[in-house]
Amino acid sequence: MRQFLSFLWLSLLSISVFSSSAAADSDYHEQLNLRPLPFSGLLASFNFRSNTTVSEFEKGNFRFFPRSLGQILQHAGTRELHLRFSLGRWDAETWGASPWDGAREGGTGVELWAWLEADTDKEADHKWLTLTNALSGLFCASLNFIDGTRTTRPVMSFQPEGDHSTVTNMHLLYGVLPHEVVCTENLTPFLKLLPCKGKAGIATLLDGHKLFDASWQSMAIDIRPICPPGGECVLQIEQTIDMVLDIDRSKRPRGNPIPRPPPGHELPCDASKPYHSHDTCFPVDHAANQEWSLSQIFGKPMKGTCPLTDPAVPPVCLQVPDSRSVFVSGGVREKKNPNHISRCFDIPPSTELEMVLPAPDDVTAQSTVPTDIVTPKSPLLYAERSFTGHGQERGGVQTILRNPSPDTAVDFIYMESLPWFMRIYLHTMEARVAGHSANKSSLIQQVYYRPAVDRARATQLEVRMRVPPASTVFLTYDFEKSILRYTEYPPDANRGFDVAAAVITVLNKGQIQGEGESTTKSGGGGGDGGTTKGGRFAAYTLRTTTLLCSLPTPDFSMPYNVIIFTSTAIALAFGGLFNILVRRFVAADEGPEGGLAMVVGRLKGRLLGLLKGVKGR
Amino acid sequence: MDGAKVTPGRTAGLYVGAAVLRLAIFTLLPGLPDLLTGRVEISTPVTSFKRLQEGLFLYNHNVSPYDGGVYHQAPLFLPLFSLLPSFASLPIFTYLLYIAVDLLSASALWKIADSGEAGSSALFTSSRREKRWSGFVIAAVFLFNPFTVATCIGRSTSVFTTCAILHAIAKAVAGAPLGAMVALSFASYLSMYPLLLLPPLVLLCYDRQRPERATKSSLQFAGICASIVAGVVAILFQMSYFITGSWEFLPSTYGVQLTLSDLAPNVGLWWYFFIEMFDSFRSFFLAVFWLHLSSYVGGLTVRIRRQPLVVMTLLLGIFAIFKPYPSISDTSLFLALVPLYRHVFPLMRYTFVSAAVIMYASFLGPAFYYLWIYAGSGNANFFYAITLVWGLGKSLLVCDLMFAVLRDEWEVERPEMAGKEIRQI
Repeated sequence: MRQFLSFLWLSLLSISVFSSSAAADSDYHEQLNLRPLPFSGLLASFNFRSNTTVSEFEKGNFRFFPRSLGQILQHAGTRELHLRFSLGRWDAETWGASPWDGAREGGTGVELWAWLEADTDKEADHKWLTLTNALSGLFCASLNFIDGTRTTRPVMSFQPEGDHSTVTNMHLLYGVLPHEVVCTENLTPFLKLLPCKGKAGIATLLDGHKLFDASWQSMAIDIRPICPPGGECVLQIEQTIDMVLDIDRSKRPRGNPIPRPPPGHELPCDASKPYHSHDTCFPVDHAANQEWSLSQIFGKPMKGTCPLTDPAVPPVCLQVPDSRSVFVSGGVREKKNPNHISRCFDIPPSTELEMVLPAPDDVTAQSTVPTDIVTPKSPLLYAERSFTGHGQERGGVQTILRNPSPDTAVDFIYMESLPWFMRIYLHTMEARVAGHSANKSSLIQQVYYRPAVDRARATQLEVRMRVPPASTVFLTYDFEKSILRYTEYPPDANRGFDVAAAVITVLNKGQIQGEGESTTKSGGGGGDGGTTKGGRFAAYTLRTTTLLCSLPTPDFSMPYNVIIFTSTAIALAFGGLFNILVRRFVAADEGPEGGLAMVVGRLKGRLLGLLKGVKGR
Repeated sequence: MDGAKVTPGRTAGLYVGAAVLRLAIFTLLPGLPDLLTGRVEISTPVTSFKRLQEGLFLYNHNVSPYDGGVYHQAPLFLPLFSLLPSFASLPIFTYLLYIAVDLLSASALWKIADSGEAGSSALFTSSRREKRWSGFVIAAVFLFNPFTVATCIGRSTSVFTTCAILHAIAKAVAGAPLGAMVALSFASYLSMYPLLLLPPLVLLCYDRQRPERATKSSLQFAGICASIVAGVVAILFQMSYFITGSWEFLPSTYGVQLTLSDLAPNVGLWWYFFIEMFDSFRSFFLAVFWLHLSSYVGGLTVRIRRQPLVVMTLLLGIFAIFKPYPSISDTSLFLALVPLYRHVFPLMRYTFVSAAVIMYASFLGPAFYYLWIYAGSGNANFFYAITLVWGLGKSLLVCDLMFAVLRDEWEVERPEMAGKEIRQI
């Protein structure tokens, strides 16, 4: 059916005449998942996926695979690639587990990891350089700054998602740019990779003003070869954009572009307070139950569907309980899913989709426990990381890892890639369970550490840990801040240096059975969101926030003064010493006259001689 | 001789007193050792105890400590400290080791003082040599010098270099050239810069040879000494190679001193200069600074040929100012040798000024560092300025001591000039 439909679509559009089998192999689909979150958040997950067979790809028939990216991959010998542009912080305490179980999430800034085919480390480095420079141009990002000091080769944290059974000489390289500010110039090339280029379908909702105004957003590109059993291997590109929009904030600019306090009668009040009356109000910060519409949130309605997309996949899904009513524009067909918490919409092509969620009927029940949205799943692990200590000389890093599960321990790998100017002292690293200091040894199971080399290599720290059920673990270590040459500081030296997010990969224990359901849950009820078949390595991935490390700074205005002062001090010592060393001692009244007296005497003699000469004439 | 008055009881009392003082600080003020270890005045990148612990941790976990930017100390420290019971569980053994090293240094200093080499060497006898302090006083000045105590409490590994240098001098004075050369090789192996002390030490050994087995030819003697040092250092390198399994310790220990890749602040003049240096001139000025440091060796050795111990003292003073990573430990070594010249103190002209400047700098230094790093109300120039003052104060002291020694030499030639006004031409 699917093959037939694709065929039909493509023939109708008369783009080209494909054989039906080829059209099926290079299928394309896109889907938008909307999920209201507590405290008036809205998670919007855009997912675009297309396949092309590896043999076609190698011949240069890219079809839906973006040619610009495909040629880069071929040139740099890249077998699998993951690129992330992220901004903000996923607030796991409020929003629960991150979408896709964190698999499409990146730390703040830009993150890139890829498996390159190379015979030696040196060749891999060379290909990596090619890849980062080419991607830098393609995505208008400073990826070319991923040099040796920002590149690591993780050993435990990442596993290829694709099928690489035929390739043996793969090198994993991981680079991160925490300082990179993701913005519109990165979104435009991202949209250009799509078959519909953001002109039709769900991509029309993506607007830089809204996307980069979100509380959290992550753009991801994942390319991996997939070999279905018995079938031909395909190269899959998956582009994902996840964003959490604040409904209040998104609605505001429509009629009231300047934020000002709402008038008294519009304030949402907490009526459950005992002192609530007509003239006292305890404001409710986040009105969870308010009405919103698609065009309010994204600034415009969705323009039809992309004609290339697989019509079997509904383009828009919404995760709200079945009890809540949703109004959509005419012609759009609503399909409720059997799990009672999500529904999808089939949209006829060239129809504008507008969707309105009115406020629920029970407006009086403004309780903090939301009943009109799907309760978020709690993540397997909470993590937060911060600096300890004060001053610009040394400090510490403390990561608080909390396992919310009451009965299962969590095994995970904690990875940090730290800049070389943070000299970490591994002997000070310790993990302790909050409350009691016992069984320290069982927390840290394995450590992989590659120390930094000044100006050449970053620190790489990977710790395999286990957090017992319902407990909190503190992982701490000390570091020292080194002082740099004055040319190595950025122009805003006193802002500090960004330290990349720690990547926490929760390991999958029951690899086969637990995998299928977890992906479908996170991928949204509608799509066949499963990312990989078979056992996935990571059950859940999360990233901490980036840190800002302030280093001691020299006085940037002083290079000449310092050179002069130090040279003077050295000259004084050298001159003073050798002055004493090379001269002879005589008594004060002995030896030839020196100094001023001698000069005066000579001058006097000359003058007298001159005078005599004048007289004689 | 004053030395005769010193009874074994007083000797033991001095050593026990110094040891008890250190032990008391270690045990009664448990926060102080770590505080001092973190001070830039005490711990430099090449002597820090915290970095030693990190190196030790990596070494014990089969990670090469030299494949990283933290550990820059000699490889032989690693097995030495691995043999000790773990610092984390039984720190007392580490404390005892450091105390023992300090006491060993003091005993070497005592021997140097008692030999009277400072006042009357083989080629020169000062007319003022009667006025001197005993070994007891000099050892006590060393052991109770706050700089020495702070270095010991901060557990800087420079105490091992200090000990080796003092033993090299003591052996040379005692007429044991072999021992002196071996000790100097150890010092050079640990910190590299003591290698520059080789010429005056060879001369000192040559002057103090035992008559029964003296080598007449000075060139031959120097050749033998140099080859001993080269041999011992080669053996130490070979041992290090066996311990670490590669030669990468060479760039990581000595290369760091030569290229100053770690710009951590210290009391010297190099760090800020090379922070602010333009990149294209960096290597040129590194060469200039090292040439400058070694330029004093030849001049002093030739000019003060008759008193090699003076040359060594002055060189140690100069190194304490101008070496790449100086700390107050180097100053404490210089200040330990200065009291040997009690007899020329009256000839010094600026004792008050230099003492005042050194005191001023040692009190203001930590304050300015605090203002820069912690309070944020000062900038790097504050600490830099105070290191300049500190360097100038010490160079004044070195110059003054040299002037006094030279004048003392001159007064032996012309005894009638004692106390008269002189000038230099």
